[in-house]
Amino acid sequence: MRISDRRFAVLLMAPAALFLAIFVAYPLFRLVADSFFKISPIAGGPRDFVGLDNYFRAFASEAFMGAGWRTLAYTLVVVTLEFALGLGMALLFTMLGRNSQIWRTVFLYPLMIAPIVAGLLWKFLMIDNFGLIGTLMHQAGLLANPNQIGWLSDPNIVLFSVAIPDIWLTTSFMCLVLFAGLQNIPGDLIEAARLDGARAPAMLFRIILPLLRPVIAVALVVRGIDAARAFDTILIQTNGGPQSASETMSLLIYRTMIRFGDPGLASAMGTMYLLAMLAVAFFAVSTIWRPGKDN
Amino acid sequence: MSLADPRLQGPAATETTMPTSTVTSPPSTTASNGNGARRRRYHAEGLEAGKRSTRTLLWILLAAAMIFYGFPFLYLLFTSFKTPIDTIAVPPTILPREWTLENYTNALGRSGVLASFINSAQTAIISTVLSLVLAVPAAYGITRYKTPSGRVFIMAALVTRMVPPVAIGIPLASMMSSVGLADTPIALSIAHTTISLPLSIWLMSSFFEAVPQDLEEAATVDGCSRLGALWRVVIPVVSGGIAVTAIFAFLASWNEFLFALLMTAVRSQTTPVVIANFQTQFGLDWGSMTALAAVYSIPVILLTLLLQRKIVAGMTLGAVKG
Repeated sequence: MRISDRRFAVLLMAPAALFLAIFVAYPLFRLVADSFFKISPIAGGPRDFVGLDNYFRAFASEAFMGAGWRTLAYTLVVVTLEFALGLGMALLFTMLGRNSQIWRTVFLYPLMIAPIVAGLLWKFLMIDNFGLIGTLMHQAGLLANPNQIGWLSDPNIVLFSVAIPDIWLTTSFMCLVLFAGLQNIPGDLIEAARLDGARAPAMLFRIILPLLRPVIAVALVVRGIDAARAFDTILIQTNGGPQSASETMSLLIYRTMIRFGDPGLASAMGTMYLLAMLAVAFFAVSTIWRPGKDN
Repeated sequence: MSLADPRLQGPAATETTMPTSTVTSPPSTTASNGNGARRRRYHAEGLEAGKRSTRTLLWILLAAAMIFYGFPFLYLLFTSFKTPIDTIAVPPTILPREWTLENYTNALGRSGVLASFINSAQTAIISTVLSLVLAVPAAYGITRYKTPSGRVFIMAALVTRMVPPVAIGIPLASMMSSVGLADTPIALSIAHTTISLPLSIWLMSSFFEAVPQDLEEAATVDGCSRLGALWRVVIPVVSGGIAVTAIFAFLASWNEFLFALLMTAVRSQTTPVVIANFQTQFGLDWGSMTALAAVYSIPVILLTLLLQRKIVAGMTLGAVKG
């Protein structure tokens, strides 16, 4: 007996669907379930139903609200700078044309570096006392003393400093995607604008950016979601410090679970974090992305 | 020689002489501007800059950007060749005062380091194979039969990409230990596959989309079953796409840290966790840390340079299309 096409398609998708159900959907279900319990960190310890208590505790805690705002600020800093730098590089490569091809390849290299290594090497550049950046700025006459800026020890700027490795790692991605988008802009259009006497700013804001809008939207959404989940680079640089000034949501949840041994509270925080991410994701996917639709 | 060859054009020739480095772009025949100033112009299309002065400026900008961008990793490399004392010298120097391999022998000689490389490779390979085995048929089912369930499924897979790893890492770790898989490369590679599978399905769907449907129809007419047509006709056509997907799945696992931190102890620890541990376990051993980080990164950087065409194809497909 020959099975119908529709059933054949389902059979092809079934293994992947089953995998995602077991290893993504079920753990998420466990996470949500755990958020209603007070759980002892010791294996096999007591487990008491406490209703929404963990949620109230999360909202009452300064750490949770602070981490929420910091995650938002971190994401905005990363995405904005990456976009500006990525667009600049993409325009530069486009204006240089084919001769720049080898440099485009070289520019990709940070994408292959593990975030943990990127965090480590930037920490080494910014660390107090023997960090190279402070020393070079001092030698260039920009700073009176090499330790004037405590990149990773000043709570006021640390959130910006820990974002640098993330920006360094993925500006290449932004550049690559925007470059591909720029190649699709018809040359005639640019020529026509040029003949009409359009100057560079007008060309950028009136022609290039509007034409790139779909590509920009996708790139910003993809990177925004990644940045909001950042963990490795921050953990290795500051572990959330000093005074929690670089503690984003991923770090707070991790520390609540592992350090403070409160799986119930961590699950409640995780559930809210997840819901916020999914809300953004659903919004983005349904309004901008539209996968499966042919153009 | 084309008619655009400057030598054939008499007086205009001096205006259009091309530097030898521009053999790829055909010489343009743009005439000099009215005031008689000698200007060299490239044949500029679209956004490409034409004026020589502009191009020089752009090249200088590019050089500056490349130096800024490349420097952090070079500094890591230089540091890894310094003597351990020199790595934390105040003030720091860029180049080693004395080149030595001491950090490399220290780092690689430490117990567990070589084992962690094997674990990393093992985990990444299992995860890559698992991703491909699951993603290839699923993506084919989604693109070829365009059923409503397929559309729902690819949406669900995309949404999975948005899930923060920290949210599923902990329940996943306890699931693995309850089935006796705690601290094994298998458990970690399954966790890594939750990251790479949605991306693989997405990429493979784009590649299948490009295969003409007539191909399998011809095969089925010749007596191939649908599965046979997929295996013998379609898979060979998209083998390039499969390679791209494999690279991404491998890199996702090779560089992953959070799941590795949550799910491994000693036995199956991967190198990123070992690198991070240098910080706490052995005080601040910067020399060994930089050496190990260099050893871990260089194979994948070389891989990128070798396979850059495929990687660029994958990244632009994943984001630009759709």
